[in-house]
Amino acid sequence: MPEKNDLDDATAPYSGPRAVDPGEPEPRLEDDPDYVTRTRFLSLIALAGGVAMTAAIVVPVVGFAVAPTLEPEPPRWVDVGPLKDFPDGETTSIAVAGPATESDRRVFIRRRDDELIPIWNRCAHLGCPVAYSPGGDVFACPCHGGAYNSRGLVTAGPPARPLDRLDYKIVTPDGKDVALGDAKDEDRLLIGVAYSIDEDEQSFTLRGPGESVTGVLRNLYPSPGA
Amino acid sequence: MATKDIGPKNPVAQTGDMVVDYVDHRTGAKTGLNWFLNRNIPAETGWFQTLGFTALALFGLQAVTGIILAMYYRPDPATAYESIRVITDDLTWGWLVRGMHKWGASAMVVVVFLHMGRVFFFGAYKYPRELTWVTGALLLVMTLFMGLTGYLLVWDQKAYWATVVAVNITASAPVLGPYIADILRAGPEFGPSTLSRFYSIHMLLIPGGMIAFIGIHLFLVSKLGVAEPPWSKRLQMVEREKEEAKRQAARDRLPTGRTRVPVRAPDHPPLRTPAPTDTSESATTPDGGGS
Repeated sequence: MPEKNDLDDATAPYSGPRAVDPGEPEPRLEDDPDYVTRTRFLSLIALAGGVAMTAAIVVPVVGFAVAPTLEPEPPRWVDVGPLKDFPDGETTSIAVAGPATESDRRVFIRRRDDELIPIWNRCAHLGCPVAYSPGGDVFACPCHGGAYNSRGLVTAGPPARPLDRLDYKIVTPDGKDVALGDAKDEDRLLIGVAYSIDEDEQSFTLRGPGESVTGVLRNLYPSPGA
Repeated sequence: MATKDIGPKNPVAQTGDMVVDYVDHRTGAKTGLNWFLNRNIPAETGWFQTLGFTALALFGLQAVTGIILAMYYRPDPATAYESIRVITDDLTWGWLVRGMHKWGASAMVVVVFLHMGRVFFFGAYKYPRELTWVTGALLLVMTLFMGLTGYLLVWDQKAYWATVVAVNITASAPVLGPYIADILRAGPEFGPSTLSRFYSIHMLLIPGGMIAFIGIHLFLVSKLGVAEPPWSKRLQMVEREKEEAKRQAARDRLPTGRTRVPVRAPDHPPLRTPAPTDTSESATTPDGGGS
């Protein structure tokens, strides 16, 4: 006969285990959002390491791609020939080495009335090469119709300022600077750095095509490295 | 096993299936392709929706012809023009491949714009496809930039001066313009490294970006599905049901959205009970007014 147990007697008092109210759980450190667990610490280390390694690659690469291109053109003097090649009363076109031959820089040497102006052929609108027509004694741009007078000042079309000019000096064969009035035919003409001018022929640091040197629009562009 | 009884009996086809299953089990390639290609599309999908793939096909054409052209082209100002001349005049089918690359570029710009117009006029850029539109817009910019940078590589007078003007247009953008132009042409003016810089941008930098964004674009197209054209019957039915429900609601005089204040014709001018008069000493009013 099986032994009698508590389950058979519904009236017997319960003697089994009882649920205990757990009460408030013990506060854990990792539940505090400000507490740095090991997982969180290692994640941050990995993230910081990844950022550092990526920067170690990207910063030199971008710097190498960008920084050399922003350097301004180094100043220098280019010998373009004896003064007798540029007769008085004429505007003569010559090729001048720019920063490189690929820049295809040409200069008009305008020699009139005891004055010599080297005028750069780069249109002040968008940089097309302007052409000189001796008949009308004017410069005209083939791209967008910019027109300039004999001194390179804008007469019509979109250019924002007159044609840029270049510094020049005249040197005797034994290397002394002379003024234009005292120069002889065999003295050499040297072309230097370019500069921009406004309508009153005041000189400014060289600007890119399309940039104004006067007026409100001048403020749209950073000053060239000066 | 029982599963051997179904499927092809041809041993070659069986082997093929086994190979496909082997690869799919390890890579998910078949499942992924199935997800990507065999999608349900709206009933009215038609020729207009093929413009996106046409643009992709033209990108593929440009990639393939460009890779081959790079085998003969020399990105150096001294030799670039001559190498193009050799490709065009001397080498077998060089004129053909260069022609495909040149006209393919123009065709790609045209097709990309048509694709954008289709998306715009179908309203396919709307929720939830806004980011597909954004990546597409970036791809448009990159397509145009490919056209600009590729144009210079021929290094003839037209290419040279057109690019001079294009870079100077960039330079005329306020504040950052001059810097961007300097970065583009590798200096204050065109120089020996301008051509190789454009070459690198044209065949490495932008194509890499384009491949990445084409991937995102296609993933989004696959994930979100093709948008219905505006004349979709299902769409029209939904619209009609909405309209019908609105009218029914109006008929039931249930306010839907903004309610209108009913306009009422003026009643007869009001006339209330008569005021007391002297004539009657015991004036009574029916409603007791005035008492």
